Amino acid sequence: MHELSMADAIVKTVIEAAEKNDAIEILEVTIEIGQMTMLNPEQLKFMLEVLSEDTILNGAEFNMELIPIEIECLSCGFKGEADSEELDHYIPVINCPNCEEKNMNITAGRECNVKNIKIEKSDEDA
Amino acid sequence: MHKIADIEIQHDILIANRKLAKRNQKILDKANVFAVDVLGAIGSGKTSLIEKLIQEMNHPVAVIAGDVISKFDAGRFEKYDVPVIGLNTGKECHLDSHLVEHALQDLPLDEIEVLFIENVGNLICPVDFDLGSHLRMVVISVSEGDDTVEKHPLIFKDADLVIINKVDIAQAVGADENKMVQDVKKLNPDVNVIKTSLKENKGVSEIIKSLEEFMRQ
Ligand SMILES: Nc1nc2c(ncn2[C@@H]2O[C@H](COP(=O)(O)OP(=O)(O)OP(=O)(O)O)[C@@H](O)[C@H]2O)c(=O)[nH]1
Ligand SMILES: [Mg+2]
Ligand SMILES: [Zn+2]
Repeated sequence: MHELSMADAIVKTVIEAAEKNDAIEILEVTIEIGQMTMLNPEQLKFMLEVLSEDTILNGAEFNMELIPIEIECLSCGFKGEADSEELDHYIPVINCPNCEEKNMNITAGRECNVKNIKIEKSDEDA
Repeated sequence: MHKIADIEIQHDILIANRKLAKRNQKILDKANVFAVDVLGAIGSGKTSLIEKLIQEMNHPVAVIAGDVISKFDAGRFEKYDVPVIGLNTGKECHLDSHLVEHALQDLPLDEIEVLFIENVGNLICPVDFDLGSHLRMVVISVSEGDDTVEKHPLIFKDADLVIINKVDIAQAVGADENKMVQDVKKLNPDVNVIKTSLKENKGVSEIIKSLEEFMRQ
């Protein structure tokens, strides 16, 4: 639902980094999306492609990497990946895989991280 | 000749929002203002509740009203002669720290003690965006159905105070308000859940008591 504003922020971040590194073209962008965010990766990708038109990002490939939810259970002390039963396509319900309780801290899965980019740059400088 | 290079960026957009939220909280702390993010479903009673709190709390209050078209809710608050900033979110489904930061610049923070931030009516998107508030109060009502909590677990996991409103019409809409309380407790065992009917003025003093307890912490 807020894919557009996220995509906008991602595009700004990528273009800034590309310009700083004298890119002439951006080939790939890798983005990590936590499974616990309210973001739909496919929608986000679509928005990114739309916003890329007429920028240095045009034609770049967007790799969306899903980050699983990790928890720390406050009932039994379990640490690790959570069970997320998909209620519908973006709202996981979370239980501790060890004791099935729901009282826990979330330690991973809330990311929307621009991880890295692959760029083409002129070889003349050195 | 061209060469290919991999560039590490590692910039998390959501964490960037959280950082900005921390900065907002610092501004609020410096001015001794206690800020409450009021979240909840569309039409659950967020504006009605804030209207009651403005009238009944013994603290000078200000309101930031985030709405798709802000003039509606902002207009309701202006009647009470308190500072009000309306934020037009337009097509956006949530407030973010950046919008709130601008609103803070326009508020007389030194003259107020409590700031209510009415978020956009939505149980999904605001979850990703801290605003810098000290407390997240989630307002839902029985008319959304008594499976609301189960359907939207995350917002309740993160809540500091949960209000189940419109209990006066629970029977009429066939909803079990006590089931809703239990569902919240399953997700968030320590959170205070208060049943209210703003129409019949029930539960408001309990909310004020709870807010004041948080303010003392
Ligand atoms: N029966 C009943 N109606 C209520 C109660 N509280 C609020 N309402 C009514 O519910 C409707 C919506 O209330 P609002 O306070 O505007 O709700 P809101 O959450 O601010 O709505 P949005 O900002 O549009 O998402 C209004 O017609 C209120 O009069 C209640 O306790 N009982
Ligand atoms: Mg409202
Ligand atoms: Zn456990």
